Amino acid sequence: MSASQSAVRSRAEAVKVSRMFDWFILWAVFWVVLGGYHIHYMLTGGDWDFWSDWKDRRLWVTVAPIVAITFPAAVQACLWYRYRLPFGAVVAVLGLLLGEWVNRYLNFWGWTYFPVNFVFPSQLLPSAIALDVILMLTGSMTATAVLGGMAWGLLFYPSNWAVIGPLHVPVEYNGMVMTLADLQGYHYVRTGTPEYIRMVEKGTLRTFGKDVAPVSAFFSAFVSIIIYFLWHFFGRWFSSTEFVKAA
Amino acid sequence: MAATTESVKTDAAEAPLLNKRNLILGVLLYVVFYAWVRWYEGVYGWSAGLDSFAPEFETYWMNFLYIEFVLEVTTAGILWGYLWKTRDRKVMSITPREELRRHTTHWVWLTCYATAIYYGASYFTEQDGTWHQTIVRDTDFTPSHIIEFYLSYPIYIITGFASFLYAKTRLPTYQQGLSLQYMVSVIGPFMILPNVGLNEWGHTFWFMEELFVAPLHYGFVFFGWAALGILGVVNTEVQALTKLLKKDLA
Repeated sequence: MSASQSAVRSRAEAVKVSRMFDWFILWAVFWVVLGGYHIHYMLTGGDWDFWSDWKDRRLWVTVAPIVAITFPAAVQACLWYRYRLPFGAVVAVLGLLLGEWVNRYLNFWGWTYFPVNFVFPSQLLPSAIALDVILMLTGSMTATAVLGGMAWGLLFYPSNWAVIGPLHVPVEYNGMVMTLADLQGYHYVRTGTPEYIRMVEKGTLRTFGKDVAPVSAFFSAFVSIIIYFLWHFFGRWFSSTEFVKAA
Repeated sequence: MAATTESVKTDAAEAPLLNKRNLILGVLLYVVFYAWVRWYEGVYGWSAGLDSFAPEFETYWMNFLYIEFVLEVTTAGILWGYLWKTRDRKVMSITPREELRRHTTHWVWLTCYATAIYYGASYFTEQDGTWHQTIVRDTDFTPSHIIEFYLSYPIYIITGFASFLYAKTRLPTYQQGLSLQYMVSVIGPFMILPNVGLNEWGHTFWFMEELFVAPLHYGFVFFGWAALGILGVVNTEVQALTKLLKKDLA
């Protein structure tokens, strides 16, 4: 390419072309990250996310934030450290939520006929906003990992409380006490997922009674901090522009 | 005056930087095709897709599988062959404007790849979850697998490799070797398809139950991470475009 030649005819065209590529990049990053994030999330925390009767006070609160902080950390590592764009976590989570909502409505409801109030996805946006705001205010990966990762885990249960609270109301059914969410699960039978593989409220943590959710959230926040560190560096590696020689 | 008129004529005859028709048709192709596929699943999933030993299963699902295999191999052969056969052998001597035009076309390919990845990794994969958690399978080739594994995955693989081939054969940026993250973002998701072998082998042990978070599925997760290679592709492209536009934007 000759240095004397220009790719565009005017500054106005250069600006226009630059904006066009902004939209291209936004589209591609959004949908590809959505795809990668969604397949990761559905296969590491999906069962707790699919069904309201899996959304318990212990394992859902623990597992979902830990496996969900991965892609937001990686996307932040690219968008903030390369372009100073403070919305990596929100973009990733918006993509995940869109993919989930489309699926829950068109497939969980549209193909296998489970009601939407049994299969709604978990809410992650408040956690993502906190993660982005902390990164923007501190400009520090370490502070974001520690404070943001902590906030990510702790905010998860409160973010979902308004939706899941009514389904955790206890009911008596055939002489047994259970939650409304449990009752939904018994009525909407999933033949391929029998009751004995439902992982909810297992173990002695239940002896903590009302403290189960806060303890689980605190543990989740602790692991989220570590996962954030790890995935920040994954994100840096995935952002590299290295070329290798053909083998 | 004459020179100005001549210049305008040249501009008018020149191909636009972005071929909007290709962009819109490319994305619409996936959206319309998959809308039809989803309709087919809705109609024939329940009516002919529950028992793999039934004759109607052969008619509506196995024949669908055989046809898609043939079409996928044919499409991949023709598309990849065309891109390779028509490669630019003097790619380093193109004008900056032509280079910019090709970057734009390359982004049309990446847009199509992003759309295809969404349908494969998100839409049809989670759909597979609700189908198998609801319906007990008696074959690997269930209605949701015939669409997810053997249609939507090959389609994004075909599109991804086409995008990679376009960049490699037509853009000076990619002549300095093989872009590591481009390969990660194309080959990683491709590896999800061979991983189906592990998955189905495992399901011969746990045939009746579908636990989506089972470790058996972690191969899909690992290769799904590779989609993040798109970040490296974006950064490579931004560097190239910055070089092309920098002095005009300054």
